[in-house]
Amino acid sequence: MLREIGYALTAAGLMAASVAYANDNQLELQQNPEFWATQLGNYQGNRFSELDQVNRDNVGELRSVWQFSTGVLRGHEGGPLYVGDGRLYIHTPFPNKVFALDLEDEGRVVWSYEPDQDSRVIPVMCCDTVNRGLAYADGRLFLGQADNTLIALDAESGELLWEVSNGDHTVGETNTMSPLVVHDKVLIGISGGEYGIRGHMTAYDVETGEQVWRGYSTGPDDEVLIDPETTTMLGEPIGEADLGVSTWPEGEWERGGGAPWGWVTYDPELDLIYYGTGNPGTWNPEQRTKDGEPVDNKWAITVFARDPNNGEVKWVYQKVPFDEWDYDGVNENQLIDIEYEGEQRKGLAIIDRTGFGFLLDRETGELLVAEKFAPETNWADDYDMETGRPNVNEQYSTYRQGVDVNTTDICPTAMGAKNMQPTAYSPRTGLIYAGINRICMNYEPFETEYVAGQPYVGATLTMMPAPTQEGDMEGRMGSFIAWDPVAGETVWKIDERFAVWSGALATAGDLAFYGTLEGHVKAVDIETGEELWRFKTPSGIIGNVNTFMHEGKQYLAVLSGVGGWAGIGLAAGLENPEDGLGAVSAFSALGDYTKLGGVLTVFALPD
Amino acid sequence: MTVFARACRSTLPVFVVALLMLGLPPAGLADEQRATDDEQRTTGEAPGAFVVEDGKVDPATYQGYLVYTRVCMACHGPDGLGSSFAPNLVRGAERLGWADFAGTIATGREVQPGQVMPSFADDPYVMGNIPNIYSYLRARGEGGLGRGRPKIIESMQETTEDIEEDNEAAAESADGA
Repeated sequence: MLREIGYALTAAGLMAASVAYANDNQLELQQNPEFWATQLGNYQGNRFSELDQVNRDNVGELRSVWQFSTGVLRGHEGGPLYVGDGRLYIHTPFPNKVFALDLEDEGRVVWSYEPDQDSRVIPVMCCDTVNRGLAYADGRLFLGQADNTLIALDAESGELLWEVSNGDHTVGETNTMSPLVVHDKVLIGISGGEYGIRGHMTAYDVETGEQVWRGYSTGPDDEVLIDPETTTMLGEPIGEADLGVSTWPEGEWERGGGAPWGWVTYDPELDLIYYGTGNPGTWNPEQRTKDGEPVDNKWAITVFARDPNNGEVKWVYQKVPFDEWDYDGVNENQLIDIEYEGEQRKGLAIIDRTGFGFLLDRETGELLVAEKFAPETNWADDYDMETGRPNVNEQYSTYRQGVDVNTTDICPTAMGAKNMQPTAYSPRTGLIYAGINRICMNYEPFETEYVAGQPYVGATLTMMPAPTQEGDMEGRMGSFIAWDPVAGETVWKIDERFAVWSGALATAGDLAFYGTLEGHVKAVDIETGEELWRFKTPSGIIGNVNTFMHEGKQYLAVLSGVGGWAGIGLAAGLENPEDGLGAVSAFSALGDYTKLGGVLTVFALPD
Repeated sequence: MTVFARACRSTLPVFVVALLMLGLPPAGLADEQRATDDEQRTTGEAPGAFVVEDGKVDPATYQGYLVYTRVCMACHGPDGLGSSFAPNLVRGAERLGWADFAGTIATGREVQPGQVMPSFADDPYVMGNIPNIYSYLRARGEGGLGRGRPKIIESMQETTEDIEEDNEAAAESADGA
């Protein structure tokens, strides 16, 4: 009898332990500075490493120790994971291969996995077949395939453990994002804002792949998982019910986009996840008016704070009500603890698509700071801090200018002053490091009709480099900046020929790293921005530089392989409209500098 | 393919092909004729006719620019120049010829794993505008039309509305197909 009870207790204990393990494994891993266990380095999205073996004094000696070609030509976003088992886990764009590479054996393939996907998914991916990488927890790797299949693999063997469908590519739903594991759930959004989809964030059980909850970005409160009495907006309850329906013309919320395809961050203490939603359906604002007047189109371009356990929305902040420029609000929410007006605050900082750097209180969703990090930004003059709304500049309002009118010289472009490239934050300097885009646009809305599975865009867009200001590099289309999120000021900047489309890394070695579209990995002094080291990879970099330590040696690794929207927009080069038609462009064509091809490059100091 | 027939029915007014106007050397012209022998270009009734004059174009070619920029640019890059995702079409359109060009848009094409062109057969706006897109790309290639949004030749302005009406009619008939 005692023995039986003992067994039962042991079994109960094991079950409890295994639940606890699934809950905490990712958190434990990311607290070990030797690992890079999640795409953004930690739940807070800081992309900061405590490692300092590679530092300001010796980074000049950093060298490539091995390279690995993925055999895939499309744009390579995301980066490798390292969880202490001597392997690097990497992924590719469509066909979404996964490789486990032996770090000690020059990247020998331990196992590889290639899903079988319908190739018709490729042309409905608006901006290249990119994928932002794997998630890991408790011996499992998670991958969101292009065709919306979410899979779990055994990290040891590469064996498929389960798969589940998160969407339908025949109606324009696709996936590019990296899942995130929180507790015993794996979270994933969806892409397709250019196909009139209805965005959602969904949680699946890590063990079984069973769907646990889904919160839509538009529609009635019970499907968005909002309670208007308790969910807050700028610190006050929303009050009014079903704004996700009533702020749209009849039925338009059903194709209202709001696709959350960027990064999800998580605060383990508050137990809240944070992410932004994309553009509201068609790019033609006229088709999103109600009774001939602009309406907010909620909850597109909105920061959501949700309870990861059931999806309930704690607070919302809509960055751009009634979008007129495709300012897809998916940029990552950096969770940073800061001092603001003499008080310690739990902050949430965004280097946003709109050209504004936001700082919010992540407990309440209050707006604290909204300042331009891209000085050319002209669509709005500033934000009204009381209402949280932008003061839109009528000259650049594509709605006021009208359908079939080409509104010119709007900054930034629809690509955003920053796109998906994740920023880094150093708690040592209190600054955010970000690769940004310095590109403007002409935007001409046109009437478009919804056809399932066909593009639902409704605007013609052409791009040109942002006007330069005093001290800027001639012809620059990007910069790497150090941003003070509390003061709302740029501390230093480095201009680059092309948009800086790679993720940033900050380290305790007083270094910041980033990649360029020409293919350089660069290390700069975190205090001054002075370049200390560079290495030319075989193709342009839109992936993220990650770092980790194995057997006492610090490594850095990055995927190169140009593509993404940057590859589409910049391959042929941009023209300065003032040069007139047919003039030889002063601005560089990316195609003159780099070609396709995915390669992982791993760096270390010499022995 | 019935959709095509309808789209093609909205043929354009008689245009002089740009090369003649540009006075390019005979060798180029000979190449041009070989490339388009099957198109009965001389009648001016064939899809893909265009006029380029001082960087300005006829209304159908202008319409082709708009449609290209709205629909095709997302993959094929600005001004037909190609991107890291899909090929340059400035010369490609001409090389394909009308039938293959229109057929590719209608049915799509898998070039190789990872490189796929979608079918636009269900998109009446695109289907109704294939001749105009073809005119625009040929104007970029053979016609030497530069980058960016062209202007319409003043003397042809008045036909713009007709073109739009034609396109709407084509779109409607394709819609019903």
